[in-house]
Amino acid sequence: MKFQIEKDVFQDALNQVQHVVSSRTTLPILSNVLIQADELGLELSTTDLDVTITKRVSAKVSSTGSTTLPARRLASIVRELPTNEIDFEVNADNAATVKSGPSFFKILGLPATEFPVIGEFGEAREFTIDQKLLRDALRKTSYAISTDETRYVLNGVNCIIGEGMLTLVATDGRRLAMVEQDLEFPAGNETGVIIPTKAVNELQRLLDGSGELKVAISDNQASFELNGSLLITKLIEGNYPNFRQVIPSQANYRVTVEREVLLAAVRRVSLLANEKTNSIKFAFEDNRLSISANSPEIGEAEEVIDVRYSGPRLVVAFNPEFVMAPLRNLDQDEVFIDLIDESSPGVIKIDEPFLYVIMPMRVAG
Amino acid sequence: MHNHVPHDPDKSTNDPQLHQLWNTISLELRGLLGDSPFDLWFSDFRLASISSEEIVMVAPGTMYAIWVEENFKTSLISAFTKYLGSCGRIRFEVSEAASAVFASEPESQVGGPDREHPARVVPRILVEKVSEQKLLERGRASGLVEIFRFENFVPGENSELAWAAARAVADQPGKTYQPLFFHSSCGLGKTHLLHGIGWESLRQRPKSKIIFVTAEQFANDYIDAIQKNALVAFRKRYREADLLLIDDVQFLGRKEGLQREFFHTFNRLADQRKQIVLASDCPASEINELEERLVSRFQWGLGVEIHRPGLETRAAILRRKRDDWRMAVSDEIIDRIVELVRGNVRALEGALIRVAMVATLSDEPISVEKVGEILDDIITGPADSRQVGAEEIKRAVAEHYDIDVNIINGKKRTARIAEARQVAMFLVRGLTDLSLVEVASAFGKDHGTVIYAVKKMKKRCEESAAFKSSVELIKRRLVRGGSPMESPRGRRQSPGSLPRLGYGVKTGDSDLD
Repeated sequence: MKFQIEKDVFQDALNQVQHVVSSRTTLPILSNVLIQADELGLELSTTDLDVTITKRVSAKVSSTGSTTLPARRLASIVRELPTNEIDFEVNADNAATVKSGPSFFKILGLPATEFPVIGEFGEAREFTIDQKLLRDALRKTSYAISTDETRYVLNGVNCIIGEGMLTLVATDGRRLAMVEQDLEFPAGNETGVIIPTKAVNELQRLLDGSGELKVAISDNQASFELNGSLLITKLIEGNYPNFRQVIPSQANYRVTVEREVLLAAVRRVSLLANEKTNSIKFAFEDNRLSISANSPEIGEAEEVIDVRYSGPRLVVAFNPEFVMAPLRNLDQDEVFIDLIDESSPGVIKIDEPFLYVIMPMRVAG
Repeated sequence: MHNHVPHDPDKSTNDPQLHQLWNTISLELRGLLGDSPFDLWFSDFRLASISSEEIVMVAPGTMYAIWVEENFKTSLISAFTKYLGSCGRIRFEVSEAASAVFASEPESQVGGPDREHPARVVPRILVEKVSEQKLLERGRASGLVEIFRFENFVPGENSELAWAAARAVADQPGKTYQPLFFHSSCGLGKTHLLHGIGWESLRQRPKSKIIFVTAEQFANDYIDAIQKNALVAFRKRYREADLLLIDDVQFLGRKEGLQREFFHTFNRLADQRKQIVLASDCPASEINELEERLVSRFQWGLGVEIHRPGLETRAAILRRKRDDWRMAVSDEIIDRIVELVRGNVRALEGALIRVAMVATLSDEPISVEKVGEILDDIITGPADSRQVGAEEIKRAVAEHYDIDVNIINGKKRTARIAEARQVAMFLVRGLTDLSLVEVASAFGKDHGTVIYAVKKMKKRCEESAAFKSSVELIKRRLVRGGSPMESPRGRRQSPGSLPRLGYGVKTGDSDLD
């Protein structure tokens, strides 16, 4: 196998696929990237057996063939190469030589035949979605995914297609983020799947362009095809719990606040958040919001910001990280905080179909 | 993690100890978390089982289980630890059917008072699990009737106080009101509450000794005991009760020997802080020839009157009955029935049964208009057809004695005016449902005056046929409609608006005998 490729192109492609490779794996082949060269160019693939990413790039192929090379190492070498032209050659023993200007590398690989074959995709429903729409929706929800592995059904984004809507939900039991986007799907495509965290993260990395992406969903797998990349993931099996049970149906008070102002203030005040309870207090009163933290033996912090609010004085304690997470991932200037009382869940909303339920913590004293 | 369990009603919902413990823990959690978070997250949870290693709770949905575990686990553990001394692992099971089951579970319908007065159970009770079947057997052996449970009682504004007192006594017998004394005219739920207290106490304390008897049964037992020379056994039986429920205590009136026996039983139980609950069709002070010492003892605790239910409560009661009996009768028809039948609950039930019968026989849906026809004879009976109020009676009496009505209300005490006033009191007492105090306040006198007047007039009626017939004359004029009173004044507008004027007239002459 022999080919010539531009450094930038190769580097980008390797960057997109190398994150799937896990650093500690029992199977050495899973650390490697599969490189297949045909007349049209290269196909780079990595997998951790759950998620597989394949990326096509153009290259001048003078001799076809395939091999696998350590993905991380290859990526760091390519990044450091001095010139934009790379000559690549792999011999029969899977030893690769990389030449770029004055540099020369020899990397030992493993045979392509050892690389796991991605399982056959069963009968699938296929449709297309706007890339930006999916990227936004994933960004607004994925931070709320649970990392508690004993609750595996929550270790992903629940994705529901049906009733003219695409609904994405993530929760960890203390907060819940949901996007409900109007979207016309061809009838018969109603489905609900749980896309695991890793696939969500990789997908977000891939979703950087405009245009549409092709989605195929089978019983236990989903594939996303876009910009010359293909991501195939296993789905989390099981039923996502009925998340609507924890969404308050109404609110008594609404606070309107500038997102960036709130985010900056919370970030500052949280520096002195009580380490034991990890909470900071939000006191809403007459168009002002006082955010305060009190950490015994360390000190206190308070910041008052202007908001729009006309209800009675309400003091609610929240985990600052849980407040900041949605604020970071939204891009609207204004957010709304809907409250029922001091001890019921609060809901952060924007002018678009998004909501974020956050559990208050008990205010001590 | 969260197992989906098929709902098994026998297993957990009906276990009274767990239910009770959960009530107690709920109260604790409520205190820890506040009302609104508790209601939001825990209202449909229940306790499935408890062992030293593990507490299993059933959540109404997986999401509830997850959120409760994430957010309230420490509160749960501290609440359980407080009551059980220790707390093992808490595990959640999910019953998707749980919410539906809870909706149909009677306790949760009357949940308000239940949650406010959960008894503090000591964990030791948890060991002695008693099956529902066993509980039923014990209840029946105690003389309790199954259908009269708290769950089937429909509290309304007419019985608020009685209902609250009954629950308090069932939760903490011997500690709150000693004795608790219900009085009301017949068919308004005294007996129901008495039985209900029995069942609820039994559920909470399955080993307690509960006796329900009518005063008449008590008397028969007593007589029996005397005949068989077995007074010791009789006394042992009654004086060792943990909860003594006696219905129709007015039956004790005029029975001296029985009163003496009852007096000692009462004292013994009261000394031992055992609960006594009594029901009568009149206040203790009005029971005929009841020994003063018994009267005073009956008045020790709390005397509660159950009033005639208002329109809404009557409708609520009938709807419950309809549902219990699974009758196909629409709400509109029930509304019509309660409008037409103003009598006690038994009369209402009778009317409902009749309407339902006709509906079944005629194969045709009954129209609201037809209800009147069907119930024709019930509602046009001579007694219920007219509403007479205190003011109307005063006017009629004033007219009869040819004096001004204000004089009756006034303070003049010449023989003729005093007689007129006494006759008026007597008639108001006889013809309306007003309580003694209400009658007294209608005349601006105290209730002792009314009692005296009623007694005196009764005596005069017995002594003088002429006097009786003149009183009867006034009464007939009133009942058969002298000055027509069409306005529905008799209907209760709001509780506590005194004096309440006019109610369904009691059935005629017997009251004047």
